[in-house]
Amino acid sequence: MAVLSISARDSAKDSERPSPVWIRWLDLSDRAMAVLLLLPAAVLLALIIVYPIGRLVYTSFFNLSLTSGLPAEFVGLENYRIMLDDPVFWETTWNTVLITLITVPGALLLGLGLALLANLPFAMQWPVRLSLLIPWALPLSFAGLIFAWFFHYEYGVVNDVLNRLGFEGVIWFNSPNWAFAAICLTIIWKTSSFMALIILAGLQTIPRSLYEAADVDGAGRLRQFFEITLPLLKPAIVVALIFRTITALQTFDIPYMMTGGGPGSSTATLAMYIHQNTVSFLDLGYGSALAVVMFILSMGVTAIYLRVIRTREA
Amino acid sequence: MNALVSSSPAQLLSGKPLRFIAAGILLINGLFPALWILFTSLKTEGELTEKPITWFPQAPTLANYVQAFSDQPLHLFLFNSFMVALLSTCLTLLVSVLAAYALARLNLRYRGLILSVIVAVSTFPLVTLLVPLFEIMRALNLLNTWIALILPYTVLSLPVCTLILVSFFEGIPRDLENAAMIDGCTRLGALFKVVVPLSAPGVFTAGILAFVNAWDEFLLALSFNSNPTLRTLPVGIQLYQGEFAFPWPVISAALVVGIVPVAILIVIFQERVVSGLTAGGIKG
Repeated sequence: MAVLSISARDSAKDSERPSPVWIRWLDLSDRAMAVLLLLPAAVLLALIIVYPIGRLVYTSFFNLSLTSGLPAEFVGLENYRIMLDDPVFWETTWNTVLITLITVPGALLLGLGLALLANLPFAMQWPVRLSLLIPWALPLSFAGLIFAWFFHYEYGVVNDVLNRLGFEGVIWFNSPNWAFAAICLTIIWKTSSFMALIILAGLQTIPRSLYEAADVDGAGRLRQFFEITLPLLKPAIVVALIFRTITALQTFDIPYMMTGGGPGSSTATLAMYIHQNTVSFLDLGYGSALAVVMFILSMGVTAIYLRVIRTREA
Repeated sequence: MNALVSSSPAQLLSGKPLRFIAAGILLINGLFPALWILFTSLKTEGELTEKPITWFPQAPTLANYVQAFSDQPLHLFLFNSFMVALLSTCLTLLVSVLAAYALARLNLRYRGLILSVIVAVSTFPLVTLLVPLFEIMRALNLLNTWIALILPYTVLSLPVCTLILVSFFEGIPRDLENAAMIDGCTRLGALFKVVVPLSAPGVFTAGILAFVNAWDEFLLALSFNSNPTLRTLPVGIQLYQGEFAFPWPVISAALVVGIVPVAILIVIFQERVVSGLTAGGIKG
């Protein structure tokens, strides 16, 4: 409070000086002011999101390949027809959906466990907080590289631990299933810390008195967890789940770094296929059609999200 | 030892040894990968191919760090990442302060709609715009410049930062601002002289999130900047892989160099980051 009043006094002192001309010139009515203040954001959104979306849909109706050197040719829905017959499109889409279905609940469970542990009354809070923040801040691409090294057949620490426990080491990246498993484990580890941070914040808002009352009523720990903790955490969990689902649909960095999509295209995601068609093959028409599909997928999830938020506010 | 007598789910595990185990699990889960990379970066190539593998470096060496900087222009990768992240953070903050003020203070007719749009944008998959953004940047002659990354990164963080700032601005009493305006300050003057300084924690929180978002981004950086001297860290780090060779100790050293700056930021500002994440949680 002291800080507040001091800086308020400082600011009042500052304002005794006349404002620079350009600021006085900008002293407009509320409405004009609002438009002016929102303008930079609107221009950025128009340039980086709105116009590109229109351009994306438009390009998806053309045969436009930079390697052929031919001018763009309108082909209607041809790109979409090709897509439906393209086994790699179906394979990468299926991989993306599978990664989402496995890693989102996986990260939720691990994150919930970590959050419950982190909520214990530790004497020092900062090491616990750091153990959740460092994985969150680690770039996805770094996590991919680090775990590629973890899962290395000969010198990786995962196989070393398996050997010490008496199991045979696995050649992770030679088999589609093991490679897929390694990628999912990496994504779950990397994203669980974000889940844990969100859930931990939710846990800290639950009043202790609720548990005390439950104790008096003779409710066991497990019952308290399912009847007090989980229901009160639900709002935080739903938001975290939706965000995670949307980012899972965009999975690129980790499989790109760990397997490059291999063996074959067994671990490639839709985002990787878009990137390959666009940047490697320079087939912009087909790349756009693929991107439109992903756009529709994630907008679907976003629509659900907006609905959840709105019903909560109502 | 208040914790031992109080009742909460914590009591399930509140014995001291059990808490010790819990802390161990959290620390190993969170820090082991980074530590393992640190150990690897200190090993010699010879030690790395010993079987069974060693856990702690037997003869720690910094040679890999020297090689990480001499094999590739790692200092340039760091510089590019830093400048792109810093400039996009500044731009994000400027734009979102203005927008957040309009949303928090001026009675907008379409406030609800605008907020919905912001939330929708915060979930937007930038990968789908790879083609059109690539075309736009090429048309504007911006490929292989920092700007090609700064603009999309600004948009990437704009929604979270705006949402965080709206909630902070709404907590500042209007009286303070009115007092400043009576003293002859304009609205915009009051914004930058009263509201922003009083919301410093919020501005800071938003800034750190924007910085980390930009520092971590990979796909656009990979696609828009093919010039080796303009690569950011996540993209540059791939260059250490030869066609057949994978010099893990050198790659690990480069990774450690890339992790340290953000780790320092996180260590210093951990409480801010946590509050920002929970206010407008966004990054997976």
